[in-house]
Amino acid sequence: MLQRTLAIHLTENLNQNDMQLFKKLILLILLAGLVNSSTEAQFLKKLKDKVNSALNKDNNSSNNSNKNTQSNSSSGHPSNTRGGGLTNTPPPDVYQQITDAEKSQASGNYSDARYSLQQALMSIELQIGRQILLSLPNSVNGLQKDTMQNRVMSTQWGWNNLSIQSVYKKGDQQLTVTIGNSGIYAGLVNMYFNSAYVQTENNGKDQNAKQTKVKGYKAIITYDQSRGYTLLVPIGQSSMIAWECVNFASEQDVMNAADAFDIDGIKKMLGEK
Amino acid sequence: MKNLIIAVLIMIATGTNAQNFTADINSAKSSYSAGKLEDAHFSLLQAMQEVDLIIGNEVMKQLPVKIDAYASNAGDDNVTANVGFVGTTIHRSYGPEKNIDLSIIGNSPLITTLNAFLSTPLLGGMMSNGNNKIIKVQGYKGQLTKDAAANGQTNYTIQVPVGSSLITFTAKNTTDSQILTWANTLPLPQIAKLIQ
Repeated sequence: MLQRTLAIHLTENLNQNDMQLFKKLILLILLAGLVNSSTEAQFLKKLKDKVNSALNKDNNSSNNSNKNTQSNSSSGHPSNTRGGGLTNTPPPDVYQQITDAEKSQASGNYSDARYSLQQALMSIELQIGRQILLSLPNSVNGLQKDTMQNRVMSTQWGWNNLSIQSVYKKGDQQLTVTIGNSGIYAGLVNMYFNSAYVQTENNGKDQNAKQTKVKGYKAIITYDQSRGYTLLVPIGQSSMIAWECVNFASEQDVMNAADAFDIDGIKKMLGEK
Repeated sequence: MKNLIIAVLIMIATGTNAQNFTADINSAKSSYSAGKLEDAHFSLLQAMQEVDLIIGNEVMKQLPVKIDAYASNAGDDNVTANVGFVGTTIHRSYGPEKNIDLSIIGNSPLITTLNAFLSTPLLGGMMSNGNNKIIKVQGYKGQLTKDAAANGQTNYTIQVPVGSSLITFTAKNTTDSQILTWANTLPLPQIAKLIQ
């Protein structure tokens, strides 16, 4: 009996001790867990910050490298981003060039005489081009002339490659008129007039090119889904006017726009018969 | 005597050209003053043609009247001024059977290809078919081409670009060393000075 009582007491004591020990252990684990989790969270946070900073750094560096690649071409050479361009000088003085040509010719410097004549010719061509440009209407069917895109170009003396270009705009509509003096193009257009196949393109369906007339001049009008309408009128022996019309509603709109131009006047200024 | 006649004919031609040049220049000036730009343009083009003819005749004066045993054929002398694609053409032949032929063409369309051939050794190597090679005539780079004619003869051609002009020198039934000797008698520096 005594033994039993002692055993129960011992067991109780032990149980109490165990319980206390168990409680302490739980507390320790919990504390450790708490500490651990807070460390882990801190570590995770730090890691996250590191990753973010690394990513940002990467982004920044890639942005920088993008910027660099934008300012550098693919070959590694810097591309030009500054510079005021050439000053707009007037065409060479025709009188001066003619006088120079006379002097050079008289002194036997024929090569110099030729050069001066070329300069004089170029100057006259540019002047003719500017005159024609000024004679073009300021607006065509509500489209206003974009004076920033007026161009006169004489690339070769001898009436071979004079180009005059003007652009008219309104919303997404654009009309580009190009007056060119090139025998090669004019020849091609004339060849076009003589070929019957143009009229029967695509088995007679979806006719994309046909002959027409603008103010009595023979013309060709073409339509292309991506480029819009193009109207070509050869004038005289070697000149041509081309109208490129983007986002024009109909063929008639293009014809109306072309009618706004003084073709006879342009022809006269170009010295065409 | 024959040479004297040729020289006199050239002088007369040059004199006429000079007169025409002055007339064209005066016409250009008056048209320009009157605001007739197109007329001024036309007169200047005429003047330029006259200058080209004068240059052609001046080149002609520089050319030898005889190469080796071959005398020049006076009737075959030709100077043509073109405005546009091809410039002045100067032509002279030598020998009874036109054994040697010389032509100088201004603004020649062949110049670009020939210059590429002469300035790019790799291209020169690729384009070479064993019948042409790069040579130098009086310091000017050029191309020598061998051509086997149908009659069994071997003809040679030397092409020398000078600025935008092309000098072509052809000799019939000869050898490469012989044509080079003949080409060296041509006054290339004087010709180059006039046509450049």
